Amino acid sequence: MKPFLFFFVLISTQFALAQDPNELVKAVRLKLEKVQDYSADIHIKAQVPMIKIDEVDAKVFYKVPNKMKVESKGIAILPKQGLGELNNFLTNEKAYTCALNGTKMLGDIKTSVVSVLPLTENSDVVLVKLWIDPLKDLILKSQITSKTNGTLDINYFYGDQAKYGLPYKMVFTIDVKKFKLPKSVAADLHQNKKKAKSEDGPQTGTIVLQMSNYRVNQGIPDAKFKN
Amino acid sequence: MLWKNTYNEFIKILAKPRSYIGLAALTLLILIILFAMKADGRMYISFVTASFEQTLSFNGNILNGNLIAFIVLQMLIVHIPLLVALVTGDLLSGEAAMGTLRMLLTKPISRSQVVISKLIAAAVYTFILVLWMGFLALVVGRWVFGDGDLIVLNSDGLVILNYTDVLWRYGLAFMVAYLALMTIATLSIAFSAFADNSIGPIVSTMAVIILFTIIGSLDVSVFDHVKPWLFTTHMASWRSFFSDPVPWSAIWESVWILLAHNILFVAIAIFKFKRKDITS
Amino acid sequence: MEQQAIIEVKGLQKSFGSFEAVKNVSFTVNKGDVFGFLGPNGAGKSTTMRCMLSLIKPNAGDIRIFGKNLFEERNAILAKVGSIVEKPDFYKYLSALKNLEIFARISGAEVSQKAIYETLDFVGLLGREKDKVGGFSHGMRQRLGIAQTLLHQPELIILDEPTTGLDPQGIIEVRDLILRLKNEQNKTVILSSHQLAEIELVANRMVIINKGQTIIEGSVAELMNAQETLLHIELTNNSQGAATLIQEILPTVKIQVSSPKTLELNVEKQHIALLNSKLVQAGFEVVALEPKRKLEDFFIQMTQA
Repeated sequence: MKPFLFFFVLISTQFALAQDPNELVKAVRLKLEKVQDYSADIHIKAQVPMIKIDEVDAKVFYKVPNKMKVESKGIAILPKQGLGELNNFLTNEKAYTCALNGTKMLGDIKTSVVSVLPLTENSDVVLVKLWIDPLKDLILKSQITSKTNGTLDINYFYGDQAKYGLPYKMVFTIDVKKFKLPKSVAADLHQNKKKAKSEDGPQTGTIVLQMSNYRVNQGIPDAKFKN
Repeated sequence: MLWKNTYNEFIKILAKPRSYIGLAALTLLILIILFAMKADGRMYISFVTASFEQTLSFNGNILNGNLIAFIVLQMLIVHIPLLVALVTGDLLSGEAAMGTLRMLLTKPISRSQVVISKLIAAAVYTFILVLWMGFLALVVGRWVFGDGDLIVLNSDGLVILNYTDVLWRYGLAFMVAYLALMTIATLSIAFSAFADNSIGPIVSTMAVIILFTIIGSLDVSVFDHVKPWLFTTHMASWRSFFSDPVPWSAIWESVWILLAHNILFVAIAIFKFKRKDITS
Repeated sequence: MEQQAIIEVKGLQKSFGSFEAVKNVSFTVNKGDVFGFLGPNGAGKSTTMRCMLSLIKPNAGDIRIFGKNLFEERNAILAKVGSIVEKPDFYKYLSALKNLEIFARISGAEVSQKAIYETLDFVGLLGREKDKVGGFSHGMRQRLGIAQTLLHQPELIILDEPTTGLDPQGIIEVRDLILRLKNEQNKTVILSSHQLAEIELVANRMVIINKGQTIIEGSVAELMNAQETLLHIELTNNSQGAATLIQEILPTVKIQVSSPKTLELNVEKQHIALLNSKLVQAGFEVVALEPKRKLEDFFIQMTQA
């Protein structure tokens, strides 16, 4: 029995690994494309150097192809990329090409690491790396490198809405090296001596988004996205 | 007698055209700021948030009444001392110049009481000025720009304060700003006790503010021991209420130093005025 | 009847830096006096006045008003004093009425609105009370100043040069007001002036100071009568002959023959009538006999000495 079992495991693993990266991404994309629109409550916890903000509750609205709106009473800080943009980017399969970069364990899940390279030259995105759970067709982690924003890491956690590829939690790790304070405005009293510079502190910040009350494909009028 | 003369002082301040210069100038300045912000406020904000906005997006009403009030306070804290000194620097010396001081001081009221009644009138006037500024900045600002979280740029970064967490900060900030302006008022009254013309104390007060501010902003180590004791260093202390967490001990230190200056200036004014030979 | 002293100034001394404005001034003002405080410009009158009102603190000397030390019981004393120092200055941006209300409020007495209007009437400003003081003439301000001194029914009124800068009509008005204060309201008034005619016309007692020092103090009548009068005699001719005759009658007097028709001599008042009759009896034709020395000459003589 034992050799057979070993063989079976070996074969099935090989089978999984041997998947075409384009197929992997396509599976993910198709899952995502089931979503025509959604709204969700979103709890934002930002821990970013040089920015002090309380946790914020907001509401997020999305509609294909690329309408996105965040509603909050107060000020909500979100990563500039990674919420709708990634889905957007993946939708146009002619705009990129995929390459398999092996596998990696994320927690106890073995993921396929796929590099997605944009084909258009003027694309701001330089490289997207996706850690895909091949069994569930879910992105567990992504890393977006762009010309303007440096590198952005996102970890995804799934629950009820996994069937739509919608996470209940996203953890963004952002690059803050480029953060600068305008000098003339930053004259204040008690912290005079320790002018904060981003180089001194941590170079990354995290933003944790927790989504709840997803309402998927319930129809959202376009007017909602107008300012 | 103190209250009777204080009442007189109110009548005089109310009747003097120059008392309204401050209020009018303040109103005009704030309306201009409100107009400018309404027209081009986004630009002003992006100046601060530009480097962050490459990576992050700021959602929600950033350009709200709370931020406008903060901008107004920040911009005007330089100019309001002049408006205060314009009235308070004139209180004793203006009467000397007019000749009415002679009349006043031949009445059965002690000179200390004269100074104190003028101080009370100055305090009320300054309070009205601050209140009016608060009303225009916060009430009119909120009315025009709406409520919202307050985004403040401190030297160590951006602080975003929840809109429910802002009003008490403004309340206390206005109180500390008031104390700072009272320091200007008492300083100008002290100068006023030495002078026999109206313009001297006003100019002297502004000169001291400018001098101290320059010393305070020079990054030269010889002044390091002096800076913490200059009242101008603590005039921006109201701003600390918009830090998170609020640096209470630093604010208290500022309050004590400003209070000490107030007491010192009033004492100088009374000491000098009591001994002054009225030859004008 | 012994006079009640209202003001007693003794050995007053005040310097401003090295300048000794008042060296040694002493005088007494009695109840009911209109007291003249006389001196040329720069004599120290204003400084003394200001000391009496606690505007200036003297270096030495004693000032007692109503029997109390000024610097110990200042407020109690000033509540019973009305004063104008130099010229009355008011809040120009306020009306006459508002100005009076302001000064009434701190006068130390309860002054009714009715009393304010009565005072305005007394100084002849009724009807102008709503006008801003900025538009008042100097004379009107002076009268308003006097109104201001009277509001709280003071026992003592101190007026420093109250007619300075006034036109002749204004001077007459103020002089009239002072006399009315004495006659109608029985106030004690002390007024300073370098205009001697002023004092002579209204004062019953006076002090003359010069270069910060008291020269002489007494009743105006006594000071005048105690002195010889400069008699100016004008004749149709032969002034020399007249001089010889007068010398025979009054051997001690010095006679100055200033022209063939005029001569001058210092003579006591009671001798003037005698001289007149002797000259006429001797056949001299007297055109004029003018006693010229009055308080004014005396003052000039005193202050020049």
